[in-house]
Amino acid sequence: MDKSALGPELLDYISREIVRQPSIELTLDSPLISSGLVDSFALLDLLLKVEEMANLRIPAGKVQPEDMDTVTLILRTVERVGKPKAS
Amino acid sequence: MLGAWLPHPRARQVLLLTASYFYYWTWAGWFLALLVASSVVNFGLARLVRRRRSPTRLWVAIALNVSLLYLFRYMPSLGSAEASGAWGSVGTLGPIGISFWTFQALSYVYDVYREDEADPSLLEFCLYMAFWPTVLMGPICRLSKLLPQFRHVRSLSVTDVQSGTYRIALGVFMKLVCAQLLATGWYGRGGVVAGFDTPTALGGLDVWALALGFGLQLFFDFAAYSHIVIGAARIFGFRLAENFHAPYLARSPTEFWQCWHMSLSSWIRDYVFLPMAMSRRGTTTRFVALVLSMTLFGLWHGATVAFVAWGIYNGVLLVLHRIGQQLAQKYRLPMDSRFAAVASWAFTLLLVSLGWVLFRASSVALAFEMYRAVLSPSTYRATTLAPSFYVLVASLAAACLACQFLAPRLEAWLARRLMGAGSPGRVAGESPAERVFGYVYRSWRWLAVPPLLLLVWYAWLLAVAGNAPTDPFVYRLF
Repeated sequence: MDKSALGPELLDYISREIVRQPSIELTLDSPLISSGLVDSFALLDLLLKVEEMANLRIPAGKVQPEDMDTVTLILRTVERVGKPKAS
Repeated sequence: MLGAWLPHPRARQVLLLTASYFYYWTWAGWFLALLVASSVVNFGLARLVRRRRSPTRLWVAIALNVSLLYLFRYMPSLGSAEASGAWGSVGTLGPIGISFWTFQALSYVYDVYREDEADPSLLEFCLYMAFWPTVLMGPICRLSKLLPQFRHVRSLSVTDVQSGTYRIALGVFMKLVCAQLLATGWYGRGGVVAGFDTPTALGGLDVWALALGFGLQLFFDFAAYSHIVIGAARIFGFRLAENFHAPYLARSPTEFWQCWHMSLSSWIRDYVFLPMAMSRRGTTTRFVALVLSMTLFGLWHGATVAFVAWGIYNGVLLVLHRIGQQLAQKYRLPMDSRFAAVASWAFTLLLVSLGWVLFRASSVALAFEMYRAVLSPSTYRATTLAPSFYVLVASLAAACLACQFLAPRLEAWLARRLMGAGSPGRVAGESPAERVFGYVYRSWRWLAVPPLLLLVWYAWLLAVAGNAPTDPFVYRLF
């Protein structure tokens, strides 16, 4: 997993597809869930997108919203709990 | 209380646990016995889960905790006279707070299953379960948030005392003035309690007023309690989870449930909705998970048809909102306009208020009768509730909305006017309200001591003794 490329890519996806508010400028450490920008449904979309981008599987029940509150935390969580996808 | 500031963490924990147990024991000896038993068993189960992460062990822990709730919380209410209605069948038959501390235990076992690093001693876990500010009516806390606070050596902080006292004073005001007025009406001329519990033929307008009035009463009541316990804990340096964040300004049901009883709604999101929705991918699974999660939310309040129906109703609202959101995105509808924002807010308020009828009505039959009145235009011609009740609900609703909308702006302005941007005494992380209160406290604190002591004493009467000349807190029932 190339973290340096994944971070900006993920940030771009969150801004365009989830937050959709051009006035809000997000950084790798912007709070997403605790600030209300990402709700539980959008969190699921985000998890699927992260799995697709990192080509890893995130097991159900292994992550909590607090592990996904910023892009930096998301990357750390994916590294910690992500498992190779069965081909 | 002295234990909060003892320099040695272990000694402080022992003293805090002893005080918490004594406090809980004052309700009934067997309540305490059950709490201790649950703490020890859950600690042991978590150890087993940590040793070998097996779903079977997790399910055994879940089954044991659910059985405990069923035996001591739900079975007594099922056996009571009015099992079909939400309000008639709940009561303090089982140990007070059992729904709150059992959910705390479950969250710990689940966190251990997902390899969370928090590793408390038995003493720390027992304190987490019995911690005096949260043991009766929450907020439902997470061990990962409390454990570092139990281990941290603290010193008495003026900011904590100011902030905590401010929260207590606010809570007492909300309970004694706002919630109590809504419950009984002006001079006891008929409020929410009489409106729901006195059998009269209600018109459509009456039902809307009662629904809105009860929603406000519940907010003022439970938010007041939350302010008081969060404030009391803050005085001793503990930060608890928040429970409300201006829910009646929400512009969608999703936003509403992110701001109402937040410690329970985030618990349901983290431990029920997300694991369920992630287990099988697909929109249908998500919708089913959402409705089931909200049903559990309803069931948590009591094993009655009315609470289950209320949970399903709110689950369906959330699903409909999600579908609406997807359609708006698909057809690029201008949802950012001011008109759309006001319409969404009004629509959310009305739909959430309608749900409160199921939550509060003394029977499901009465709830449906009230819904029939809402849907029958002919019933809007006459009203049976006292005109003063309409004035009361309208004025408190306006005050509540104005406070939630304007207060943050007014507080920021006052804080700037009173102290300026770089004034000494500013503390990082303080809200403007806390800053204003801090300023008043620093300037005229001695004048404030007698009324504040009176308020704290009254809050104690309300929260503990339940014998103040007012109704007890509503969430004591759950």
